[in-house]
Formats: sequence, C-alpha cells, structure tokens
Amino acid sequence: MAEILTSKNLVIKVSIGLAVLAVIMCLCALIGTQKISLEKALAGPGDKPGENIDYEIFVGVRLPRVILAALVGAALACSGVVLQAILRNPLADPYILGISSGAGLGVIIAVLSGVSFSFWGGSPIAAFAFTGAIITVWLVWFIGHFTGKSQVTSLLLAGVVINAFFSAVIMFLISIAKSQELRSTVLWLMGNITEKDFSELRVSAVCILGGIIGLFTISQKLNVLTFGEEEAKALGVDTGQSKVVAFGFAAFITAVAVGLSGLIGFVGLIIPHGVRLVFGPDHRQLLPLSAIIGSIFLIIADTIARVIVAPAQLPVGVITAIAGGPFFLILLARYSRKVSWLK
Amino acid sequence: MSGIIEVENLSFGYMRQGLILKELSFEVMPGTFLAIAGPNGAGKTTLLNLLCGLLSPNAGFIKIDSANIHSYSVKELAQKVAVVRQEFVPVFDFTVTEMVSMARTPYLGIFGFESISDREIVNEAMEATDTAQFATRTLGSLSGGERQRVFIARALAQNTTILLLDEPTSFLDFKHQVGIYDLLKTAQLEKGKTVVAVTHDINLAAQYADVALLLGGDCSYHIGKAEDIFSLEQIERVFGVKTFAGKVGEGKFFLPLGKLAKDSSIITANINKDEKE
Repeated sequence: MAEILTSKNLVIKVSIGLAVLAVIMCLCALIGTQKISLEKALAGPGDKPGENIDYEIFVGVRLPRVILAALVGAALACSGVVLQAILRNPLADPYILGISSGAGLGVIIAVLSGVSFSFWGGSPIAAFAFTGAIITVWLVWFIGHFTGKSQVTSLLLAGVVINAFFSAVIMFLISIAKSQELRSTVLWLMGNITEKDFSELRVSAVCILGGIIGLFTISQKLNVLTFGEEEAKALGVDTGQSKVVAFGFAAFITAVAVGLSGLIGFVGLIIPHGVRLVFGPDHRQLLPLSAIIGSIFLIIADTIARVIVAPAQLPVGVITAIAGGPFFLILLARYSRKVSWLK
Repeated sequence: MSGIIEVENLSFGYMRQGLILKELSFEVMPGTFLAIAGPNGAGKTTLLNLLCGLLSPNAGFIKIDSANIHSYSVKELAQKVAVVRQEFVPVFDFTVTEMVSMARTPYLGIFGFESISDREIVNEAMEATDTAQFATRTLGSLSGGERQRVFIARALAQNTTILLLDEPTSFLDFKHQVGIYDLLKTAQLEKGKTVVAVTHDINLAAQYADVALLLGGDCSYHIGKAEDIFSLEQIERVFGVKTFAGKVGEGKFFLPLGKLAKDSSIITANINKDEKE
C-alpha cells in the first residue's frame, strides 16, 4: 500500500533541502573573480575596516546577492507551481499570464518619465513594477471571467493576449526612447540580479516567505483544484475563494521577485516540472520543495552569470534560459515517478 | 421517516433556453438505489448538478437531510454528498492512493494532512473496491474500468451518506459495467449508502435500482419502483424507438431494435406478446 504524505515525512524532506540550500549558498558566496577563503570569511570583520577583506566581500557583497537569488528563485518557482495548478495547465508560469510584461512596462514607463533608475527599496521604479504586475493580474482575472464560462481557458487566453500586447508596447517604447538608461532597462528586462543591502532584503524576504507560507496553507486545496471546479467543489473546496487566495499570493510574490531582479524566465516553468517529475504532484510537498530547489537553481545560475565572462557579468536570465532547457530534458529522461526512494 | 433527499416543485432552465426540468417533485428514502434515466438532453446531468449543489434551481427547492441544500457550506455538503462524474484523466500524475486520500479534504485542518483515522478510511475504501493493488500506480496508467473503481473508492472514502454518480459505466465493457454496479449495490446494502445514478443503461438500472426516475425530455417525468417505471411502453414512448423487451427470471431487459424493427413481426419472445398470451 502506497503511503500518504505525512507532516513528519515532509519536515524531513524540507529539512534536508534547507541544509543543502545552506551549503550551496555558502559555496556560491565563496566563488567569484576575487578568491576568498571560507576560514577568513567566517573569522569576523577584524578590528578596523578593510582588515579582513574576505569577510567584507563574503558578508557585504556576495551573501546578500546569494540571498536575493534564493528569494527570487523561491518566489518564481512557487508562483509557477500555483499557476500551473489553478490553470490546470503544465505550461503556465508567471510569464505566460503577462505578469512579467506588466511589471516590465511599469519600469519602462518609470524610466522614460524621468525617475532615477534603481530597483526596489524606496525607488519609484519598484513601485511602478509592482503596480504594473498587479494591474496585469487584475486585467487577466477580469477579462478571463468576463469573457467566458470556461474560466481556465479564458484566463490563459487573456494572459497570452495581455502579455503579447504589453510586450509590443515595451518594444515600441524602447525603440523610440533615447534615454541614457536604456541599457540598464534592457539588462533589467533580461533578468538581472545585483547586489542589495540587507535592509532591502529583509523587506523582500518577509514578503516572499509570507506569500509562500500563505500558499502552503491552501496546498491541499491546490491538489483538488487540479481536477477542475466541479470536482473540487464536490470535495468540499470553496473554489472561488481558493483561487482568489492562490492568484493573489502568486501575483504578489511574482511582483516582488520581478521588482527585485527583472524578468527571469524559465524558473517558474521548469522547477515545478522537475520537482513534480521526481517527487510527484502533491502540492503539500511540491510547493516547499520547489521553493528550495528554485532557490538553489537561481543561486547556481547567478554564480555562473557572475564568473563565466568575468570581470563582466551576464544577466542571470540568459543563464536560466540557456541552462534551463537541457536541464529539464535531462530530468525528463532520467526520472519518472518510479524513483520511489525520493517519495 | 422523511427522505434523505427531498425535491419539491423544482424547475430549472439554462439562460436563453426553456425549462429543462419543470415542477419536479420526488423523495429518496435513506439506503435506496435510485436510477435516473431518460433521453439525451432530458436534464439527467443537470438534475445531478442540482442535487450536488453545483446549480441553483429557478424555482422550488432541494433538501438534503431535512435542510435546504444551499444552507450547507461547500465543506459541509461534501461531508454529506459524494459525486462520481463521468470518467476523466487528471492533468497531473497522482497515484491511486493520493487520489483516494483527497476524499478526506472536507475533514482536514488548515495544513491539510490526513490523520491516522483518515488513512484507515482511505485504506478501507481501497480494499472494498479492490483498488489497493494499484495503490502506487498513477491514474493515467490504469484502464477505464480500473479508474472508475478508483473514483468510487474516493467517493466511499468521503464517508458520505449519499453517492451521486453520473453515468458510472460509460466507456466500460460488460464485465466492468457489472463490476461497478455490484460495487454500488454492495455500498448500498452493506454500508447503507443512498445511491443516485444517472444512467443510459436501462438494463443495468432495471437490475440494480430500487427506484427509477424516468425524465421524458419534455419536462414530463415518472418516478416509482424500477420494475414499474422500466416498462416497454414507457421506454418506447420516452426514447421514441421500437424496443424488444425480454425476461430473465423476474428481471426484464430491453433491446433497441433499430434495423431489426423492420422484422418485428417475427419477434417471438416480446414481453407484451407473452403477457397477452
């Protein structure tokens, strides 16, 4: 008789995942153009500034960036899990619904209207990105519900149409713009993780982790929602309320991630797929494990982006797109749900 | 004793269409097997959707366990009524155990983990439906008949007093059709479930159901003992097709004649003919 997932079983898996994540974070924070030793990095700041440069690079520069990558990876992966579940479509991700292009359009408008270019943490750019994402979600939701009874198809179609429209507007605005900051904007659109200070990260961490916990509370309902509205209602799920909660939290964490790091593709699509292939589709474990593996994936991708053409840096979105496809194909070929020791 | 399901003057029609069901009234006693039959478009599935609270009537009301169906929350109703719809394959590859354990959703707490007793109920339902042997297999890897057993296992694990089924044997071969109806009859007789099955299969309905509701397609309906409702006259009138009726012991069977109707003069075992003789 197959086992039903227990809370104890999940805690063990999540604990192992978090331990692996911690090790990856430390290792990736040690890697970079400037070589640093773990021993010196952990030795403390020393008596005066500049005495222990390894510590300053590790804690002041690389660790915040690694944490940022972990947060963005977790947010995008969880958002992908949830959108695939409520839209009952394995190809759904935060981008297909136009959330990314909504945020991107917000940023372009902010840049072209002359506000200074910096991301997240008090900058008007962040607010524009966030507003763009939220307005897009609202539009998709409104049009999807307004146009048809078959809400899943309507929502997906509305997302695709809005995504295409906003992308076209972005391209139009970029092609007529003469702004000096255009390069930064284009880099941002390609998905870019940059150094942040801990105070910015704290706010983002609270938002993203809070959103993921909120989603976890409806994870069993997401299992049932993958069967469709009628089945879910027959199994006692208030589908309207659950969808609003799921959509709301998914949009929120995506908007925070996009505001932090621009448009990073592939994470929201391949991580849920990969985790589902190995661990199965039960959202009670799919969601937290996708968060952890999404974090690990983006940390490694960002580390590669930092060092592969050093001293220059690539936008991490380029790495996720290049690495994501083959990585997913390997997973598809190697694993199926027969991998019983992981369940 | 009052019915576990009470339908009073129920009328329903979809927007811009006429009424499909008009002033329908009936009562289902606890532990009864009710078959709902009728031609396509007569409103069978619509009635099932009304009985599980998915649709709201234009007029009249439905009571489940003496209370108006819409006075229950979605969760409360799912603790009283389980629904097995026409066969479908889920988008994601859940195992049979995962699928059956979802029946416990209306009973779970905020983080949605099953208790030991939930797990026992799930195992029991899987043993009763002979689906424990597929426990670790994914739903997509099962045959239609096996999948349908899994859905019935899920409905049993939901631990409700009422089971609603929408054409539970469509797409199944003879052996699996009988297997599913045996399973439902066992649930009725041994566990006291009230079974309401929408079906196109008059023959199986006539064999297994205690009570039958025959929807006429013109808002007319007949309800009564299955053996009375499923008569040659009713079947020919409602379905509009010449039919052969036979007897096996006390039971009846019906065969739509189609092309054979041309040679109906040489039918020798027609029930009407026997009765006349």
